[in-house]
Amino acid sequence: MEMGFPLLRRTASVQRKDGQLIIEHLSSEVTLEGNAAALLDRLLPLLDGKTSLGTLAEKLDERPERLAQLAKQLGAAGVLAFRTEDDGSRMTGAQFYELHKERCRHWLRPIYDHPLWTKIVEGKASRAQVIGFAFEKYHYIEGAYEHMAIGAANASPEMMPHLARHFIEEYNHGDIYRKGLQSLFPDEIILSAQPLPSTRALVNFLSESAGRNSFAYYAGNELLQLTENTGDDDSGQSVNAFYDGMKKHYPWTERLINSFIAHTHADQKLGHDDVFQQMCASIPPLTRQEVRDALEVTRSMAEHLRLFMDGIEVFYERFPGIPRTAITLRSE
Amino acid sequence: MQIQKEYGVRRVYQTTPGENGAKALRLSDQIVELGSREFDLYSQVAAWLPTQEPEEVFCQRVGVPPTRLGAVVDKLAEGGLLYRRSEIPDTITGPELHKHFQKILPSWLAEAFSHPFWERMTEGRGSKRLFTGWLIELYHYTKNANRHMPLSCAHTRDKPLKLLRAKHYAEEWNHYHYFTKALKALGYADDGVATSVPLPMSLALSNFMRQAAREDILAYSICSAVLEGTTTDRQTYNPYYEKCAEHYGLPREAIRPIYAHLDLDVQYQHSDLFQEILEKVGTISATRAGRILEYGHQLAEHIWLWTDDIEKYYSNELNPVPRRPFDPQLD
Repeated sequence: MEMGFPLLRRTASVQRKDGQLIIEHLSSEVTLEGNAAALLDRLLPLLDGKTSLGTLAEKLDERPERLAQLAKQLGAAGVLAFRTEDDGSRMTGAQFYELHKERCRHWLRPIYDHPLWTKIVEGKASRAQVIGFAFEKYHYIEGAYEHMAIGAANASPEMMPHLARHFIEEYNHGDIYRKGLQSLFPDEIILSAQPLPSTRALVNFLSESAGRNSFAYYAGNELLQLTENTGDDDSGQSVNAFYDGMKKHYPWTERLINSFIAHTHADQKLGHDDVFQQMCASIPPLTRQEVRDALEVTRSMAEHLRLFMDGIEVFYERFPGIPRTAITLRSE
Repeated sequence: MQIQKEYGVRRVYQTTPGENGAKALRLSDQIVELGSREFDLYSQVAAWLPTQEPEEVFCQRVGVPPTRLGAVVDKLAEGGLLYRRSEIPDTITGPELHKHFQKILPSWLAEAFSHPFWERMTEGRGSKRLFTGWLIELYHYTKNANRHMPLSCAHTRDKPLKLLRAKHYAEEWNHYHYFTKALKALGYADDGVATSVPLPMSLALSNFMRQAAREDILAYSICSAVLEGTTTDRQTYNPYYEKCAEHYGLPREAIRPIYAHLDLDVQYQHSDLFQEILEKVGTISATRAGRILEYGHQLAEHIWLWTDDIEKYYSNELNPVPRRPFDPQLD
């Protein structure tokens, strides 16, 4: 690890408790005690990303080796970053893939912890929220016609085969959800129904990213892909528990749930799990700006996904009309 | 199935409970009062109309004799709560659409601003932080006009319409400076604001406008008209700023640029632009008119959810203000 100018990551928070220093960063926590805690406590105000370790050791009247050892450990834990003067450094695709995976795990937490899941599983969600959930999933998946098509049409040469394949394999997945909704609503009502602003926001953000930067778009899309049920033990069980709860409290949703399951199977058959990893392995090293852009889009995608969940929870509670039928010259 | 195809449900903007379970339903053009049993029946019919449930199953479920269902639905239509699809005209002229829009706009705006955030702020239950956050997002929204206003010109083939849209853009493109000034008075440097990241719903507003701009110049123009409709009258916006200044100790320098911006909008008479545009449009099909109105209403819905997003993010003291762009080293 190159140790240039250390700084505490701004997403880290430090708490002092009974002589300990507890540093939280993303999903991890580091606890320091005794001399190490005391040293870091003295070091913290000086970690500005502009002062070298040698100068810091002088300022604190501390042995440079001891400081370097502590900095190295905190760097490995991800709590400290080290600025370098060389802005031209590049990151390999494989390194990016690992960084992206780690950040996604953290950014997806608010989605997995969203109160709407519990409300549905415990039967506390309203009819509008439950049907709304199915409708908004449909609108989001149907949005493939927009963002995946824009992605393919604006793809960089190396990304084109991936994005073309992605669109061709998934453009008709909305029909799987439509079939579930047809158990409750006539087809013309489903086809003309309007998504929530939050669902529109997610699809539009995907479309805008797809038109602007192929790799960043796919990095953002990968975050969404990570939320799909891959069928492994843990995620498979929690998804099944969700469907069981939904069926128990809302028995009329059985055919909707069947469509969710059919979509999961369709996705699993495509074997998209490792496409992003393969893609990252095949691209030339990324500049710092490319890394920043792709991760910014990914973080924003997570925020849009949280908004998607919020929309279903709060909007259908405040405005419970479902389905959101198309406006006519007499309806308003 | 016939009844379900024949009738549509009119939008109810507000339901106010009365005595003994009675309800007052506010439509855009009237208030309909229903007793408890009538309201229950109306709710059941309104929920059933767009579904697959056969008439006889519905009648049995709600206890209405099948021979009476037609009369019930007719009565609700006479009361204004339902409409007959056969009454939808095939076409409408531009000026007629504008008249229709003007009748509905107050209801849409009331819906857009029905979020509890506004009462919270004017009653002193908000904070300077929330006010600042709202202002930062307003800055982004205003600056992002540069993402959609020129796009609306680019996607218009009709010369008189693109001329009006271009003129509007020329008059508005740099209005975000007013918010830069206001934020400076609150202690936020230009650079920090300029490099900050908008909330997803702030970005969503401009992305939605971009979507409208690509699809239909009239759909774009109705969205623009809904937004301009929020700034036509000083009496509607002054109390919010005055109350916030009083409750949260805001300096006058933070409010003055906002008033200057709103006054300029009024001076330009941008709220009349939609009328001017529609006067240049001949006949519009009912389907297109419905789609245009859809955009206008969804814009109002965007404002409601935008407010919700602002309140949620800036209420959390742990969230940075302004929102910083992601940095792989620092984050």
